[in-house]
Amino acid sequence: MADNGGCCPPMDLFRSEPMHLVQLILPVDSAHLAVAYLGDLALIQFKDLNSDKSPFQRTYATQIKRCGEMARKLRFFRDQMLKAGMTPITRSASEGDLDVDSLEAKLGELEAELIELNANSNKLQRGYSELVEFKLVLQKAGEFFQSALSSAEARQREIGSAQAREESLETPLLEEQEMGTDQSKQVKLGFISGLVPKAKSLSFERILFRATRGNVYLKQAVVEHPVTDPVSGEKVEKNVFAVFFSGEKAKNKILKICEAFGANRYSFSEDISKQAQMITEVSGRITELKTTIDIGSLQRDNLLKTIGEDYERWNILVRREKSIYHTLNMLSIDVTKKCLVAEGWSPIFATKQIQDALQRATLDSNSQVGGIFRVLHTKESPPTYFKTNKFTSSFQEIVDAYGIAKYQEANPGVYTIVTFPFLFAVMFGDWGHGICLLLATLYFLVMEKKFSSKKLGDIMEMTFGGRYVILMMSLFSIYTGLIYNEFFSVPFELFSPSAYGCRDPSCGDSTTMGLIKVRDTYPFGVDPAWHGTRSELPYLNSLKMKMSILLGVAQMNLGIILSFFNAKFFGSAVNIWFQFIPQIIFLNSLFGYLSVLIIIKWITGSKADLYHVMIYMFLGPTDDLGENQLFSGQKTTQLVLLLLAFVSVPWMLLPKPFILKAQHNVRQNGQSYIPLQDTDESLQVETAHDPHAHAEFEFSEVFVHQLIHTIEFVLGAVSNTASYLRLWALSLAHSELSSVFYEKVLLLAWGYNNIFILIIGAIVFICATVGVLLVMETLSAFLHALRLHWVEFQNKFYEGDGYKFYPFSFALVSEEEE
Amino acid sequence: MGFLVTTLIFVVIGVIACLCTRICCNRGPSTNLFHLTLVITATVCCWMMWAIVYLAQMNPLIVPILSEGE
Repeated sequence: MADNGGCCPPMDLFRSEPMHLVQLILPVDSAHLAVAYLGDLALIQFKDLNSDKSPFQRTYATQIKRCGEMARKLRFFRDQMLKAGMTPITRSASEGDLDVDSLEAKLGELEAELIELNANSNKLQRGYSELVEFKLVLQKAGEFFQSALSSAEARQREIGSAQAREESLETPLLEEQEMGTDQSKQVKLGFISGLVPKAKSLSFERILFRATRGNVYLKQAVVEHPVTDPVSGEKVEKNVFAVFFSGEKAKNKILKICEAFGANRYSFSEDISKQAQMITEVSGRITELKTTIDIGSLQRDNLLKTIGEDYERWNILVRREKSIYHTLNMLSIDVTKKCLVAEGWSPIFATKQIQDALQRATLDSNSQVGGIFRVLHTKESPPTYFKTNKFTSSFQEIVDAYGIAKYQEANPGVYTIVTFPFLFAVMFGDWGHGICLLLATLYFLVMEKKFSSKKLGDIMEMTFGGRYVILMMSLFSIYTGLIYNEFFSVPFELFSPSAYGCRDPSCGDSTTMGLIKVRDTYPFGVDPAWHGTRSELPYLNSLKMKMSILLGVAQMNLGIILSFFNAKFFGSAVNIWFQFIPQIIFLNSLFGYLSVLIIIKWITGSKADLYHVMIYMFLGPTDDLGENQLFSGQKTTQLVLLLLAFVSVPWMLLPKPFILKAQHNVRQNGQSYIPLQDTDESLQVETAHDPHAHAEFEFSEVFVHQLIHTIEFVLGAVSNTASYLRLWALSLAHSELSSVFYEKVLLLAWGYNNIFILIIGAIVFICATVGVLLVMETLSAFLHALRLHWVEFQNKFYEGDGYKFYPFSFALVSEEEE
Repeated sequence: MGFLVTTLIFVVIGVIACLCTRICCNRGPSTNLFHLTLVITATVCCWMMWAIVYLAQMNPLIVPILSEGE
């Protein structure tokens, strides 16, 4: 490839790093270490040489499986730690000698231990909750019996005094039942007691009633606190119930219903003294179990803590191992199974480092044979790799979001660093808002160290990532704000007194005829006298519209000039003579001329109508210009420019396909040698992708492609110029909105002479300024600047059909996993 | 201050900025060229903006007409 013009050194970031395809031959015994060192280096992108094989057929499938298993165990530990409310300590653990095999064994042991502990504690926990429930049933159901007993006693006393009949007190509830229903039927009643979830208790009751046709007696008592369910281990609100029934059939039915409702049954003796005894017994067992559980959980916590200390280190190691084996799987194995062959892209500057890494690997693994480093020659297009720093990377991302640059083509990112924030600021010109933005981004810059290690939310992360873009945007908006002379829409006479004054001392006609220019032009920016006048809007609109055209034409010219650098770099004379030159002639004979007219009009103060001039340049080029004449010889100039514009269209369209065809024929016949700088790059790339396509040259396809390209450019010249008017529209919207907020909110509130209204007005003003102007307007101006760069600027020269360089890197691997 | 004087000031500021970046962060010819490009682009952008606004006010076709309320 030719170098950049020859006169100056190659510019950083302007072209992607020169790359080459390298072949590494690694002995099997040192391959693992070599790949590990290359992963630390992060300057080589391995090619998958086994893409025809499935993951299971590859050489190191078992090792990957082992790593996956270890990763699963680590994930299990992590879940357990999270459950126990612990976080793995993220200290930069010392890189101790940690062998993968011993780690695997250790992880296995730890997992088994943890699972056993968990199982034990689950079992104990279950027993514990069962006991707690049992105790509750004993207490609550015991109360039923007690209350029934006391009421029965009371009634008995009544009855006893009336009928003087002796009755046993042994079955008080039975008695109650009998009293309520039929005295003659004396059946032995059974009962079932237990706990049912509160939410289900109503339907439980209903179903019981229906199933037994009302032949049951259900008593429920609410448990105040949620109880741990022994089966699920969750806290549930429950009711204690006791069902009294008669007969075996009813019992079976009730048991089934209990089962269906998830009601845990606990049986106990009816005997009150026995109940009390059981309660003390159960309480004793509960305290016993509790201490056992506490000891168990303490043991478990200790185990997790020791795991937590090493967790990060192990995790990193396992990830590294996994990525190394993944990479090794991409290498092809030699027939003798003694060495692995790797192919990959690497930047040319990294050659020495890669060779060093291979040598170190050979030494460290005591291998007899060293790795071999070889450069391969290929026609394949290499990946695109820009060396960016923290400042340039966010701007490069703006370009990459549109498309990755073709290998070594001119990178718009260089100019984007300045023009993007500049065009943004043209739409966001207010130095008050600029300062607010600057303060916000300075906060990010000061906190940079803290934020970059922390995980942020989506929007915060995006803002933080673009902090340098925002910094540039805010600096330029302060500048353009000074030019527009707007500070929260208020003008200041910063640089000199206003150039305008009254026509006469009485100032009588200042509202009809207007002021008059009495001093030199205001030296920097818009004269403050315009603010709030009736003629402000027409004047600023005309100014900003013309400014948009001028800036647009300048940027589009820059784009076309970059296409010249591309053509020169790739040695394509066809692109210079039949693309760059007619394009620049076409654009400038129409819109360049318009720009010149604008400037002449400003300088001379002529009243010529530029629309009229431009329209009649096409409709009647030979007509007399009349009062629209701006300079002598204008008619001739216009005729020449029009002619040039008309000539440049077929110039763009016709010769290139024919020349390409001729070149192809010459190459095909092999009759003569063609120097590299005469071949066309686009064709070269096409052939590079597919060597078989070399034989065919579809003339019609090339021609249609060129036709589309030409039409796109010609129409684009008009529509893109018009598209730059968004600079005017957005800047108008911004200044109008901010003046509305200032006048209709802040000044209105001020006018009331009331401190409360003023405070409310100030709050509304601040909210509106921050919400609408600083957030929404920033976003919309950002998007419009983005569009102007992606479409209007980059379509002049940028192919953007390359692919990005993804080196094998441990740093990237761990980022992806996060 | 005329058009040319201020333009000269812009040129001087641009040159000073170029020299500053050259002296402060001299990191090899490629990076220096990159910084130079950035500074020149920024200066040209700022100058263009100023020049456009200045030229537009040199011979105004319309003058400020105060609103009735004032």
